Amino acid sequence: MDILWLGQPECQDARLVGGKAANLSLLAASHRVPPGFCLTTEVFRRWMPMAARDETELPPGTLPLALYEPLIMAYQDLAHRCGVADLAVAVRSSAVDEDSASVSFAGQHETFLNVAGARAVVAAVVRCWQSLKSPRALEYRRQHGLSVEGVCLAVLVQEFIPADVSAVVFSVNPVTGRRDEVVINVSWGLGESVVGGTVTPDTYVVNKGTLKIVERQIADKWRMTVPIPEGTEEVDVPRFLQTRPALEDSQVVDLAQLAVALESTMGWPVDLECAYHAGELYLLQCRPITTMDV
Amino acid sequence: MSTAETTHQPVPSAIPAPPNFPVTWEIPEDAGLFWTLNRMHTPDPITPMDELFIGYVWQGVSTIAQIYDIPVRTRTRRINTYMYVTILPAAAAEDGREAQSKRSEAKLRAVFARIGDLWKLDLFPEVRQYLDDWQNFDLPGASMPALLAHFDETIDRHIRLWEIHFLAVLPKHIVVSMFDDLCRDLFGGKNSFEAYRLLRGFDNKTLEADRALWSLSRAALASPEACRVLEDTAASDVIAALEESAGGRAFLEQLQAYLKEYGQLSERPFQLYAPGWIENPTPVIKNLKDYITQPDRDLEAELSALAVEREELVAQARQRLEGYPQPVVQEFEFLLKAAQEAAMVGEDHNFWIDFCAIYQVRRVLLEFGRRFTEKGVVDQADDVLFLTPDELRETATALPRIDRRRVVAGRRAEMDYFRTIQPPAALGTRPASPPPDSPLRRALGKFFGPPPAPPTEPDILRGNAGSPGIARGPAKVVRSLAEAAKLQPGDILVAETTSVPWTPLFATASAIVTDAGGVLSHCAVVAREFGIPAVVGTGQATAVFRDGQFLEVNGDSGVVRVLPEDVS
Repeated sequence: MDILWLGQPECQDARLVGGKAANLSLLAASHRVPPGFCLTTEVFRRWMPMAARDETELPPGTLPLALYEPLIMAYQDLAHRCGVADLAVAVRSSAVDEDSASVSFAGQHETFLNVAGARAVVAAVVRCWQSLKSPRALEYRRQHGLSVEGVCLAVLVQEFIPADVSAVVFSVNPVTGRRDEVVINVSWGLGESVVGGTVTPDTYVVNKGTLKIVERQIADKWRMTVPIPEGTEEVDVPRFLQTRPALEDSQVVDLAQLAVALESTMGWPVDLECAYHAGELYLLQCRPITTMDV
Repeated sequence: MSTAETTHQPVPSAIPAPPNFPVTWEIPEDAGLFWTLNRMHTPDPITPMDELFIGYVWQGVSTIAQIYDIPVRTRTRRINTYMYVTILPAAAAEDGREAQSKRSEAKLRAVFARIGDLWKLDLFPEVRQYLDDWQNFDLPGASMPALLAHFDETIDRHIRLWEIHFLAVLPKHIVVSMFDDLCRDLFGGKNSFEAYRLLRGFDNKTLEADRALWSLSRAALASPEACRVLEDTAASDVIAALEESAGGRAFLEQLQAYLKEYGQLSERPFQLYAPGWIENPTPVIKNLKDYITQPDRDLEAELSALAVEREELVAQARQRLEGYPQPVVQEFEFLLKAAQEAAMVGEDHNFWIDFCAIYQVRRVLLEFGRRFTEKGVVDQADDVLFLTPDELRETATALPRIDRRRVVAGRRAEMDYFRTIQPPAALGTRPASPPPDSPLRRALGKFFGPPPAPPTEPDILRGNAGSPGIARGPAKVVRSLAEAAKLQPGDILVAETTSVPWTPLFATASAIVTDAGGVLSHCAVVAREFGIPAVVGTGQATAVFRDGQFLEVNGDSGVVRVLPEDVS
């Protein structure tokens, strides 16, 4: 089982696809999750012996076909499904004990956005695999008492959504601890600026019972992450958008409802990453909130 | 021992008038206002009749600002024959500044969405109608009462034309400025010309006139007789000399066709004092004389190349913005289209209102002047410009009983005297703090340009970067179009300011340096259309530079440098 598609029942097995992909696969049927597939941990294990090669760049013409052929075929299949020849994708690590309740691994493994073309996709996947062995990732594991050996990685490849607006949604209030409130951070462009903390986002607090916005702070949003050729870049927000609310109130309420629904589905408080693009709401990530006593 | 530091509050400061420029304020409260000389449009003394008509120009700003809910008003005063202007904050609307500001933004955006059609479909037909009505009125054949009624009608039309002018031009300034701001936000760069390169190369009346003149010069090159006359004869004798040969007469016909279409241009915009080219074609002939010394140049191709570049740059900008948040892409496309249309409206209205309409006003006044001259109450037709409108009416009604020769002579002498004096840039009281930021203020700031920074080194003068590129050449200080003949290909044109009728010189000069103006001034806009470097708003280029001085003009940095004589 090298390739599993989001939405397939087998793709809900976190031991094969990691926590991130397993959660998304579960939700793919009922929510707008960008279509994609997972390279399972089995492919990673076949690559491991080659990991001794300390290379970050793949020289052209050295792709061991047996290893990468499933990946390339799946990418082309995805591109075909999306109707775009060199489809831009997001290539994301999905570690096997990632996105579980106790540790978040948030940001410890690599993510590559706006990758297009088979060669670039393969290079991104290899970099994800290599990141498992990065000093930062290994240190994180040691600090959280997790095993360093025998760790396994899956890689999630999905259609890349060039978000107009990104949101991070918590289905409980992580600051006050209140479980009857949803907290939403919103800003322009891709979610990296919100998650990475380089922009002060708009903040909303929504009461879960009444779905009324009980608190609202519109920020001066100075920075946004946008797609550039072969990747992304953080740039200044044009002045006309800096103080404009990034979302309508109705969209804020939609996000709160989504958080409530997912909390119910998953059975635990959720930390969501969402993207708005061309009027549609996409679910990019759904993981347990790790900073509170659940 | 130290004393506690007190916060220094800025206070308004009275501006002392120079000893050779005595100021008596007729209205005491004027002394407390901040008056500036509009060096960009009216750097020279203006006549008493101009005071009324230019006053109505500025009144148009006030009227239209109110219509667009922009809380500014203007006032004008003729002080020692120079035109000073003040811009005042207006009282906020009843529902408060914020609501007014939102309303203003909505009104302006509605205009931005169709600024091309606003001019072409809504406003220009009215302008054209007035111009035709003026042209068709039989001035010599009118009775004096009819002529006086026509004078009143002329004033009403003038007032309306300047409302029309600002209905289009206030939004034009603002949208181009907003587009520039957005391009800087997106593509970076302090003196980046990204925005303006995306706006140039469209056909407009100014370029049409300039290309027609160039085309006329190609016709001259094809005619040996016309060429010989232009090469050998003094400009003032050229017309007569052309009559003397068949080839010359054929060319003269083309020249007269050109003057019929474009000859209403004159030295300076919306001023009555300067004759139109159709009255005195010397500036046109001087340009032709220069253009025929450039037989191998293809100006048309140069101008077209800029349009091609524009489209390439627009495609590049769109590619760069692919994947950006949709509000950003939508705003870029919205402002791009509006700014491109605004650029055309900017040039077209300039020709039809700033020049053609004022020419018609001048025609009416000169008819009075001719009749007054005939009766001996003035010495020459344009003496009538030295009367106020009420004096003109009195003189006409009482003709020939009121002799105006003394008063005209006195006023001419006053203007001639003050022409030799350098007028102060500002009078009255400097305000404590700059006015609040607003889209119009930003736009006007880019149009008129910030005050020039004092030079930090000898041999350099700083201004506003107006048009990109670097050029070197001998300076020629041209104070009026009458002096323009000294400009040779490769020279650097140094002028107080320029306007539409100066633009044919841009096909001769290698770069432009002006005293007045900012990056959105007419000089900068057209220099970019011609693809030559320009530094505008230096404040004192015409005072500091001399003919023949070798200069380096850096249109990217806004710096003009005097080079040692032996650098070539």
